[in-house]
Amino acid sequence: MSELKMIKKPGITHTQLVKYAGASGDFNPIHTVVPIGEKAGLDGVIAHGMLIMGMAGEALAEWFPRKDLRKYKVRFSKMTRPGEKLTIEGRTTGEIWEDDEKRLTGEVSVKNEAGELKLSGRFEVKI
Amino acid sequence: MESLLKEDVRLKPFRFTIERGKIKEFAMAIGDSNPIYYDAGTARKEGYRDIPIPPTFPTAIEMWGGLDFETLIKLFGLDPLKVLHGGQEYRYFGEICAGDTVTCDPKLISSFEKRNLRFITIGIHYKNSVGKDVLYSESTIIERGASKNE
Repeated sequence: MSELKMIKKPGITHTQLVKYAGASGDFNPIHTVVPIGEKAGLDGVIAHGMLIMGMAGEALAEWFPRKDLRKYKVRFSKMTRPGEKLTIEGRTTGEIWEDDEKRLTGEVSVKNEAGELKLSGRFEVKI
Repeated sequence: MESLLKEDVRLKPFRFTIERGKIKEFAMAIGDSNPIYYDAGTARKEGYRDIPIPPTFPTAIEMWGGLDFETLIKLFGLDPLKVLHGGQEYRYFGEICAGDTVTCDPKLISSFEKRNLRFITIGIHYKNSVGKDVLYSESTIIERGASKNE
């Protein structure tokens, strides 16, 4: 078990959510239109879960070569709002053999400044 | 809105051609400055055929390729204001780079209700242009307050 280098992201902005909506094609208005987020009982807009998974994916490709990634699975916990600053943490947990290759297994998590968990996930990379 | 019978939901295969500009746009939106997503020369130097897709780029392939939010809402009869993403999994079997055309075959894995939440899981198999399996994506969406008679 070894810790991977923590990665700090700048604060999420409303503009970033609009950009991510366009880039990803996810135009669910709860991510971009404040009155709709309020109508949905979310107290404003919330970030796309996939944006948060994308940030943790950025960390994975910084920790390991992108092409060695074999599995990446997450569960979304708390919602993220504009203004929050997220940190990505990861650790390796062991080694396995799968599909005739040796792989490192690990965990990744994303938290805000208050330590609230946004996403937790597992990954496998070829060694 | 009348929802379709769960068993009757038909998810159609679709194709998508990956462009360098779309990868760059996606990486920029995340704030991911990894040079392999921006410059084909750097990507080749690192051993890729062309600019590779970021790990979560398949979501853009799915949303822009045919399984967008509006389509899912309609297919499953969901209340758009109550839908959240519960979890996501990717398994990577082969490289996908700019210039590739992938064929995506979505299947409904499960759909059930538990404690007033509806869980829908969709699995998508990706093949490249020569028919090789390159990726599997599995997405679980949750509809809050799923009981329509509340």
